[in-house]
Amino acid sequence: MDALVADAAERIFADHVDKPLLDCAEAGEFPQQLWQVLCEAGLHLVGTKDSGTGLADILGLLKVAGRHAVPLPLAEVWVAGFVLGGEDSDGLTVVADDGLVAAWGRRAERVLTLDGRLATEFSVESGANLAGEPRDRIRVDGASEIDLPGEMPELMATTRAALAAGALERTLELAIEYATTRSQFGRTISRFQAVQHQLAVLAGEVAAAVRACDGAIEALDATGFGTQAAAAKARVGEACGIAAEIVHQVHGAMGFTHEHTLHHFTRRLWSWRDEFGNEAFWQRRLGERLAASGADALWDFIAREG
Amino acid sequence: MFSGLTFAPARLPDEAEALRAEVRAFLADQMPADYWPNSDFNEGHSPEFTRRLGMRGWIGMTWPKAVGGGERTFFERYVVTEELLAAGAPVSAHWIADRQSGPLLLRFGTEEQQRRYLPGVVRGETWFSIGMSEPNTGSDLASVATKATRVKGGWRVSGTKIWTTDAHRNHYIIALVRTEGTPADRHAGLTQMVVDLKGEGVTVRPIANIAGGHDFNEVVFDECFVADADVVGEPGNGWQQVTSELGYERSGPERFLSAFRVFVEFVRAVGTAPSPEQSALIGRLASHVMTLRKMSISVAAMLQEGANPGVEAALVKSLGNDFEKMLPELVRLALPQMPPEHPFARSLAQTLMHSPSFTIRGGTREILRGVIARGLGLR
Repeated sequence: MDALVADAAERIFADHVDKPLLDCAEAGEFPQQLWQVLCEAGLHLVGTKDSGTGLADILGLLKVAGRHAVPLPLAEVWVAGFVLGGEDSDGLTVVADDGLVAAWGRRAERVLTLDGRLATEFSVESGANLAGEPRDRIRVDGASEIDLPGEMPELMATTRAALAAGALERTLELAIEYATTRSQFGRTISRFQAVQHQLAVLAGEVAAAVRACDGAIEALDATGFGTQAAAAKARVGEACGIAAEIVHQVHGAMGFTHEHTLHHFTRRLWSWRDEFGNEAFWQRRLGERLAASGADALWDFIAREG
Repeated sequence: MFSGLTFAPARLPDEAEALRAEVRAFLADQMPADYWPNSDFNEGHSPEFTRRLGMRGWIGMTWPKAVGGGERTFFERYVVTEELLAAGAPVSAHWIADRQSGPLLLRFGTEEQQRRYLPGVVRGETWFSIGMSEPNTGSDLASVATKATRVKGGWRVSGTKIWTTDAHRNHYIIALVRTEGTPADRHAGLTQMVVDLKGEGVTVRPIANIAGGHDFNEVVFDECFVADADVVGEPGNGWQQVTSELGYERSGPERFLSAFRVFVEFVRAVGTAPSPEQSALIGRLASHVMTLRKMSISVAAMLQEGANPGVEAALVKSLGNDFEKMLPELVRLALPQMPPEHPFARSLAQTLMHSPSFTIRGGTREILRGVIARGLGLR
């Protein structure tokens, strides 16, 4: 990933994304100012043909976006830009899942569907995921046919793995920060072995999720991307549930309040693990391939593609 | 603020991958005929297989040519070890010497010790045991009480080591003993020594495990003489030396592949028309193995670069051991019950019966979580 682009994105997200912004976005208000800043920095064009960036940058930057719970449909905008080649417009083009649910469909000018249509005329029924991120069902009234790259569902699944990997890293930071400052029984709760062990388990899940996600990113230029993407979405999804449980337990009642920022991340983990195929879906995909190649090819498959 | 545990992306380089086909051809030819494959590095013992592996140059692969080694990379060794484990080959005879005792002697031993012991290890003829735990020294390794007393030309050692894998078959043990002070002195005053397991003043007593097997032993030293020439490193430096072994000991493929043959037999028993639930389980287990392997290779890359990734290694071992225990628990419910002689039932029973050891040997789950917590800045 281009380090300069990553630094620029990190800086903008850190400066602009805070709890008030997240709460406004959840109430349905599009974060226009943040979007303008990103457009001015050229970050709306990540992944497009003449941008000098590609899929690895998209996924790398989504990890950064996940760390900040950025309330914009960046995965969809960037992947759509990659697929369509891109044009310098601040109008939104997003991607819908195979149930025609699209992030911020209500704000989109165009919607790309996984069956290869670019919808320009469509109606929208508003909805939201568990994190309150707009997830709007569209009905296509007018569209043109588009050639999609292969493994588009795998690519979209990997965008969620990347977002979740970033958010998982953030929840670990939040939990460590809380445990090392919150005092009970005369010492910080980080001094209790029971808490230390929970955080050690959390660190293992976070590290596994990040490594699995990076495995898919590494495989972008190789033949095994579909396999790596399936493994990554499945493994990251499993980490999301375990991690959310632990970070909430460590934060106690504080983390259960709306006032605390933890839920902006844990509710996203619970949402993203379901979007574009949950763990069971991608486990089955991977498992069917392995079963078909047979027991004696199992190790070779893992060593070659794993 | 949290500094993060990083597992930087790393791949096995092409020259390492090139070895894979060679190892598989060797295995097709050399797996003992009546042997039931088992991916637990501790379970299969075959002097003949180990000797043939040595002849191929696959023991001591990374060691200097001067001691018979191959001067190859950690990645090449990684490919050979993971292929052996995945196939369930009998590797226990040389495993400890290759992974741990040899690298220890190369790092801290004298040239004379290296010349004396390592060529035999490389040939697959000299086998080593680890001498750390004692009856009253388990996870609390710094409480070692085995005492070495200065005598002319060396030391007299008395005390007991326990859980000593293959001490009844191996040639030497590298014992961690106290050359100064008492157990209350903790990390100070500890020293490592090579002791001849067949020598005078050494008694090896078998300890049967719950699976009915005999791998580990109690080793009693009674005024056993150890020459100065067999002291490894500086007297008193033992603690630094044993902790430096842990990066190698904890991050390898043997920390997540112990139950792999059960996975293979599960896929075989399921066949080509799995139910959606069986497919999902196969995919779930594969997603774990693939991820653990990537993390383990990331640690191998750090070792290759000369780093000391102690915390990362502890994390791979902890996560890997939990996976090794989870695997038999999940597959057993995804198939109808099989008769005991069925390959799946046989592998499952063997692994299940040994599974308690997975999260105990080489650092318990509790110790590892403590190491990780320290790495996170919690203690």
